[in-house]
Amino acid sequence: MMSDQQIIEGCAKHERRAQQLLYDKYSRFLLGVCLRYATDKAEAEDILQDSFLKIFFNIKDYSGTGSFIGWLRKVAVNTAITHYHKNLKFRYHIEIEEYVSVETGVTSFEEDFFTSDELYKVLNDLPAGYRMVFNLYAVEGYKHKEIAEMLGIDTNTSKSQYSRAKAALRDKLDKLRTLKSSYTSGNE
Amino acid sequence: MDEGREDKMLSDLFRQKLENAEVIPSPSVGANLMRTVGRREFLRFNPARINIWYVGAVAAAGTALAFILSSSPDLKTEEIQAPAQIEISTGSVLKGTENSLSTALNNVEKKTQTASNERKPEVKNGSEIIVNEKTRSNQSEIREVESTEDRKVNPVPDKDVLAMALPENNKLRGNLRKDSYISASATDGCSPLKISFRCLAVPYDSCTWYFGDGGYSSLRDPIWLFDNAGEYKVTLNVFSSGIKSVSSVIITIHPKPEAKFEISPENAVLPNDEITFRNYSDGAESYKWDFGDGATSELYEPHHSYRKFGNYNVRLIAISEFGCSDSLVIYNTFSTSGNYIEFPNAFIPNANGPSGGYFTPKSDEGSQIFHPVFSGVTSYQLRIFSKMGMLIFESNDVNYGWDGYYKGQLCDPGVYIWKVRGNFMSGEQFTRMGDVTLLKN
Repeated sequence: MMSDQQIIEGCAKHERRAQQLLYDKYSRFLLGVCLRYATDKAEAEDILQDSFLKIFFNIKDYSGTGSFIGWLRKVAVNTAITHYHKNLKFRYHIEIEEYVSVETGVTSFEEDFFTSDELYKVLNDLPAGYRMVFNLYAVEGYKHKEIAEMLGIDTNTSKSQYSRAKAALRDKLDKLRTLKSSYTSGNE
Repeated sequence: MDEGREDKMLSDLFRQKLENAEVIPSPSVGANLMRTVGRREFLRFNPARINIWYVGAVAAAGTALAFILSSSPDLKTEEIQAPAQIEISTGSVLKGTENSLSTALNNVEKKTQTASNERKPEVKNGSEIIVNEKTRSNQSEIREVESTEDRKVNPVPDKDVLAMALPENNKLRGNLRKDSYISASATDGCSPLKISFRCLAVPYDSCTWYFGDGGYSSLRDPIWLFDNAGEYKVTLNVFSSGIKSVSSVIITIHPKPEAKFEISPENAVLPNDEITFRNYSDGAESYKWDFGDGATSELYEPHHSYRKFGNYNVRLIAISEFGCSDSLVIYNTFSTSGNYIEFPNAFIPNANGPSGGYFTPKSDEGSQIFHPVFSGVTSYQLRIFSKMGMLIFESNDVNYGWDGYYKGQLCDPGVYIWKVRGNFMSGEQFTRMGDVTLLKN
């Protein structure tokens, strides 16, 4: 197994093998990031591919200081933002009610009531603007001012979208919780 | 719960669960990506790659230059030879005849010698039928030189001596000197057989060999290759001062046997299976087997059990009644055969409750359990994910498959992703991925 350092050097030389290794090693993690910013997995995979193209062609920009995985995440997030801007007009969203039937039959949640699948799904169903702000603020940890710059919106818009996103999420999770509780209790 | 705390919890929930969550991309994404990268890199200016191109171009130019330089001496000699030939024609007028002629002759000799020297390696390497023709054309060239040489050395053949050695004598002493003027390196052998002939007549004007297979040569000492089995009557005509003497010899070429065998069972698993070697050899009467693990046999169709797995080279030598032999080696006979793992693409779980994952080919006739068919698997890890990438089943036992249940609950019909890793008995690692459709009964 090559170390990250070797992979980075290989990618800088445009070695196909190193690129493949990089993909194999980090594609799952980065798709996890992309999926938070997308409406569905297909879109997330589009963002993932664009991210990897950026990573491969701009790997020299990685300074070597700081965590590599952090850099990768940043590229993916930026790609997702670009993607968001590009596809702003084509956004649509699906209500959560449609989603429960897709579940994989998970019933017992003593330790973690919601699975990551469910959280992803809830995020995917948010309006795109809410989703962007929520992800950037709550998960990535950017400040509202930074987010406003990234998305080209007002700081106050970022703040208000964040609080609306939270409200929407809370609402969706509550519904889901009720649904799931009835589901589990019905089976017991 | 107050608003602020709940908010914090909400953010934390997403961050903790999703910050480092992993989702498995569709297999097509990677392939697509690598294709796109290839296309873009081709179009993109890339100093690193340009350097490689430069190095390549310089190397190519270098070799081209070396080629030109190495071939130029040839060009020069040709240039020199051309004037020499002109010298011959003009020289005869200018009284320089003898010198220029002899140099011209030397040139011709050298040419033919180098030509034959150059072609000899080809004789060894190349296919024999082509070689046959080449040697023949060589021989005729050489003959021309030799004949002129002979004429120069023996300008006036001694008629009396010749007369003594000529046909009458041969016929009289036929029993004593059976092959008369012919000396052959062998009179029988296995096809393809190369025989060196020598003409023993001294002195002589010219000789012609007929090899009985349609081929002939005017060389004094030809080498002939017999490709096909059969009896050939080789005839030598020697001319000396207008008198012709005929000698002949019978050459017997024995057919070459053909060694051929197969292994049964076809996809044998070592060391469990006893291997039967099926013999399909042709034209042989005795056999020598080497199983590659040190064991040998002289049976027609032997059986053999290997002690352990390995890459064995199995050799069969088939020997004919005339002692002609042929051999066949199968390299790495068992390297890939026998080890496999294949997964179905759909299954129908038992709707009446979890059936447990253990199965036998017999017990799972209804395909209620998702499991592979396999052979030669030593270690194994199967993982099954939902479409969203959540792990819902894991097994480290190749005999333990998925019954379609997750935590006691039947999963929804649909597509699930599986990934398997492990080792074959040969030590070879395998990784497979795919999807399986869970069907409703």
